[in-house]
Amino acid sequence: MNNEGLKDLLYKMADDALIIGHRNSEWTGIGPMLEEDLAFSSMAQDKIGHAQALYKILHEILGEEDPDKIAFLREEKKFKCCHFTELPIGEYDFSLVRHFLFDHAEALRYEMLAQSSFQPIVLLAKKIKGEIKYHTMHSDSFLKQLGTGNEESHARMQSALNYAFPFALGIFEKSEFENEIIADGIFAGEEELKKRWLEKIATIIAAATLKLPHVDESKIAYGGRKGFHSEYLKPLLDEMCEVVRTDPEAEW
Amino acid sequence: MYGNTSLTEEEAKRLNLTEEDPIKLAEFEDRITRGEKIEPGDWMPKEYRKQLLRMIEQHAHSEIVGALPEGTWITRAPNFRRKLALIAKVQDEIGHGQLLYSAAETLGKTREQMLEDLLNGKSKYSNVFNYPALTWADVAVIGFLVDGAAIVNQVINSKGSYGPYCRALERICYEESFHLKQGHDNVVYLATGTKHQRAILQDAINRWYRPLLHFFGPPDRNSQHSEKLMKWKVKLASNDDMRNQFLDQYVPKIWELDLTFPDPNLKKNDDGIWEFSDPDWDEFKRVINGGGPCNAERLEVRKYAEEAGRWVRNALMSKNEKYVMPMA
Amino acid sequence: MSSLDPRIKRLDLKKTEEGEVHTNTHLITWEVFHQEKRGKQPMHVGAVHASNPEMALLMAKETFGRRGKTTNLWVVKSSDVYTFPTEDEDMFETTPEKMFRDPAYYKVRDRIEKFQNKQKV
Ligand SMILES: [Fe+2]
Ligand SMILES: [Fe+2]
Repeated sequence: MNNEGLKDLLYKMADDALIIGHRNSEWTGIGPMLEEDLAFSSMAQDKIGHAQALYKILHEILGEEDPDKIAFLREEKKFKCCHFTELPIGEYDFSLVRHFLFDHAEALRYEMLAQSSFQPIVLLAKKIKGEIKYHTMHSDSFLKQLGTGNEESHARMQSALNYAFPFALGIFEKSEFENEIIADGIFAGEEELKKRWLEKIATIIAAATLKLPHVDESKIAYGGRKGFHSEYLKPLLDEMCEVVRTDPEAEW
Repeated sequence: MYGNTSLTEEEAKRLNLTEEDPIKLAEFEDRITRGEKIEPGDWMPKEYRKQLLRMIEQHAHSEIVGALPEGTWITRAPNFRRKLALIAKVQDEIGHGQLLYSAAETLGKTREQMLEDLLNGKSKYSNVFNYPALTWADVAVIGFLVDGAAIVNQVINSKGSYGPYCRALERICYEESFHLKQGHDNVVYLATGTKHQRAILQDAINRWYRPLLHFFGPPDRNSQHSEKLMKWKVKLASNDDMRNQFLDQYVPKIWELDLTFPDPNLKKNDDGIWEFSDPDWDEFKRVINGGGPCNAERLEVRKYAEEAGRWVRNALMSKNEKYVMPMA
Repeated sequence: MSSLDPRIKRLDLKKTEEGEVHTNTHLITWEVFHQEKRGKQPMHVGAVHASNPEMALLMAKETFGRRGKTTNLWVVKSSDVYTFPTEDEDMFETTPEKMFRDPAYYKVRDRIEKFQNKQKV
């Protein structure tokens, strides 16, 4: 089995989940309705939990460092998350559209990984299937209702989608180990995932009376998978380790 | 002040005037004396409804505003365990707000109206949330001691007479036990940790000591009593009794960690009553009237949440649905 | 205003600094029933505000089902729930004569023993 390719895959999944979970948790306490505040916060907690589970696999099975160290004390260029997850929360329209686009990609990725030759990821996919199902159910419901709600909500959702889409396509940036992990049966690859994702989101976007924008290949936000990040990641990581850095010897 | 009533002199007077139907009032009071709960459809004295609504509404506001000081550290919590616990804890406070607004709604005021009254200053929330969370240790102290104080109050109130409020409080108290445990865990890690950790913890305790004494409201000797609210089981314990219960439960838990409170006079007397220095009740009044370090920010942030979320609620609203209050 | 909270610093608070606050947008009120386990009674647990049944269920899940075990949730519009007025509570009082509905009312052991004693003679 190709360990480098496997690690690369797990790192990018974990980093995506950690950073988007961190971002979405920023809404806790300031959401648009109390009930939605609870729902969005739970999903953020789920995402951070998924990241932790993936780092645990990296640590326990693949010999990487302890999850807290990896997540809170790694340098920026070692992070493999896509730019999409790094963007600030913006207004609720953007956060919801990101949640919709990202979570469908994540759901399909785990669906594909349920067939993986790497058992630990198969088990994880099974374990979190229910959580992810709720996430996409939630995002679809909001997208449809706000897409068809009133003039303002329709316009907001469409412009959030236009803004978010080139970033979302960055999720599928290929890794240098793409062919090996496909050959080893670890993961069927980003190209295949993107194809399934486009099919999946198209029907929901249509039901929400929204339109997918056309995006030039050159506008896609690539780089994250190779350690080149948006201007937003570094400050976020600095925030995450602010407390730990005050006393690195301490147990928190 | 936190699901707690403090009356003005005028209000206390009005409460004692009987202008209600004496037969219905007697039935109502008998029911409470028998230990039965009052439910939303029941006849109730106007003052009962008013005081209860005010109390539950303030309690609900305290929950959602109370989410903000600790929220300060959500993005900076130092590891997975603390980060997840903190998000879940702050989330619970919003959930408590949700439960309490529903309970208050059964008394005839909409959630939206209550939120509006919070933002326009007509309705108050607990003073303790007008202080800043300066360091990570504040999160520990809030989780352990502020939640500890809130629990003392909430457990007592859960024995009250209004069904929907008691039910909400039962659920809330169950969740609060998680808040308390995670707060204590955090305090103990800091207290048994490095010099730096102990130092920030002691500093946080020093800063929260007075607001914690203020939490239960002015001393009994300076506040308006209402026999009636006691009889109606709206108020179940005096401010001093609750404060004493809090000190009794929590001071030893700080002392056993070789930490101190910034008050040389703090001690338990032989009669079981805790003694402490005057915590500056003028400051308490100043903060209630908007002069605390964070009053402006708290309201501004809540206002942002309401305003920024309005387009979402507008889009979801169905124009032909009339407002209906929750059943119970 | 300079907040201590990095999240808050990133928000555009100025946007809402002026003008009246209006929060009067009512969503629909739903009663929520929670079934803990298969075979157990669904119990009323509270209410949520939501725009339609689908959303009410999604919101109820995180409001009332984020701890412990849940098998299913039910939601129903509060306006679709009918109850008796509380002053009719006296209708439910049972008179002592209704003992014939009570299993404890039926005691035949004495009679059987008496019969058996008689048979022995
Ligand atoms: Fe609470
Ligand atoms: Fe709490």
